[in-house]
Amino acid sequence: MNFRHFFIPHISNNFRAKLLHHQILSVFVLGLFLGGFLLSYFSSVFPAVLGQAIDISVEKLVEFTNKKRIENGEIPLKFNDKLSYAASLKAEDMFEDDYWAHNSPNGRTPWAFIKNSGYTYVYAGENLARGFTDSEDVVNAWMASESHRNNLLSDNYEDIGFAVKKGKLKGEETVLIVQMFGSTTLSPGRATAAVSTPSEGELVLVKSEDIKTSPLIDTKILSASLSQSIVILFIVVLLVDMIVVKKQNILRFVGHNADHIFFLTLILLILAIFTKGFIL
Amino acid sequence: MMDIFKNHLGHYISLFAVFAAAFFFIVSVPDKQTQVLVASFAAFFYVFWGILHHFIHHDLSAKIVVEYVLIGSLGLALILFLLKGGLIF
Repeated sequence: MNFRHFFIPHISNNFRAKLLHHQILSVFVLGLFLGGFLLSYFSSVFPAVLGQAIDISVEKLVEFTNKKRIENGEIPLKFNDKLSYAASLKAEDMFEDDYWAHNSPNGRTPWAFIKNSGYTYVYAGENLARGFTDSEDVVNAWMASESHRNNLLSDNYEDIGFAVKKGKLKGEETVLIVQMFGSTTLSPGRATAAVSTPSEGELVLVKSEDIKTSPLIDTKILSASLSQSIVILFIVVLLVDMIVVKKQNILRFVGHNADHIFFLTLILLILAIFTKGFIL
Repeated sequence: MMDIFKNHLGHYISLFAVFAAAFFFIVSVPDKQTQVLVASFAAFFYVFWGILHHFIHHDLSAKIVVEYVLIGSLGLALILFLLKGGLIF
C-alpha cells in the first residue's frame, strides 16, 4: 500500500482513489463530528490549553480607527468616556434583551443610550461588531462596508467611545464591540463650532473589558485550517481521480466527481464566511 | 464529462441556482443559526439532487446513493467541526 493507493485511481484501489471509498469517507465524517465535540468539550475543561485566542482592546480599537482616519485625510477622534459609557450601556442592553440590531426590540435607539450617558450630541453614529478575535480585523471589516466606513471616516464627528463585552447572545458566547461616534458642535471637522461644548458632569463609568485570552492551542485556527485543508484535499483528489479516469478511459459506476467538486467548493466558501465576524 | 453537462443542462442550472442563492443568503444574513440552517439545506438539496440526477440518467445504484449521502454528510461535518471546534459567534 503506497501513497498512490490513497490519492490516484489504480488497480490496487479498484480504479478509485482510496480516499473516496465509502469506508474512508465514513471515517472522515465520523471523525469530524466527534472531533468537533471533543474540541468543544476539552476547550471548556482546559481553557488554558485549548481555546480561542482573543485580543481586543479599546485602546487598539481607537488606535486603528484613528489610523484609518488619518490615512484618509480626516482628523483623529478624541476618546470620550461618556460615549464609552453609552456604548457599554448599549452592549449590556443587547445581552439582556438578546438582540443584534441598532434598535432594541422595544424600540430603543442608540441615541437613547448616548443621551443617558450625559453626552449632548449634535451628530452621533454607531457601528457594531461581534465574533471577531482581533481589534484590527474589526476595524478592517468596518472599513470594507460602505455604510460603516462612512461612519468611521465622517468629518461630522469629533469624539469616539467603545465598549468590548463578552456574553451570551442568541444562546452563543460572543464578544460584542460597540463603537459610538459623536460631536457636540455643528462642524467639528471644519472647526466652525456654533454650539458650545457642554461641561463635563459627574459620571459613574461602566468599565468595558479589554478581552485578551491566549491559550496554548488556538481552536479557531486549528479547526478552520483543518476543515479547510480537508475540503481542499478532497477537491484535489476528486479532480485528479476525474482526470486519470478520463485519460485512461476507465468505465466506473460512481457519482460524478464534478458534482462533488462543485458542492465542496460551496462548503469551502461557507467555511471562509463562518470564520469571519459580523458587523452591523 | 462535458456531455453530461450538455445533456443535463437544466439539472446543473438548478444546482447552481440553489447553491448561489444559499451562498448569497449566508453572506447577507448576520445570524449564525440561520446560516447553518441554509448550509444544511444546501447539503440536503445536494444529496436529493444527486439521487434524482442519476435516476434520470438511468444509472442510479445503492452505491451512488451512499456516495452522495457521504459527500453531503462530509460537507455538514466540516461545518459542524468548525463551529463546535473553535468559533465564537
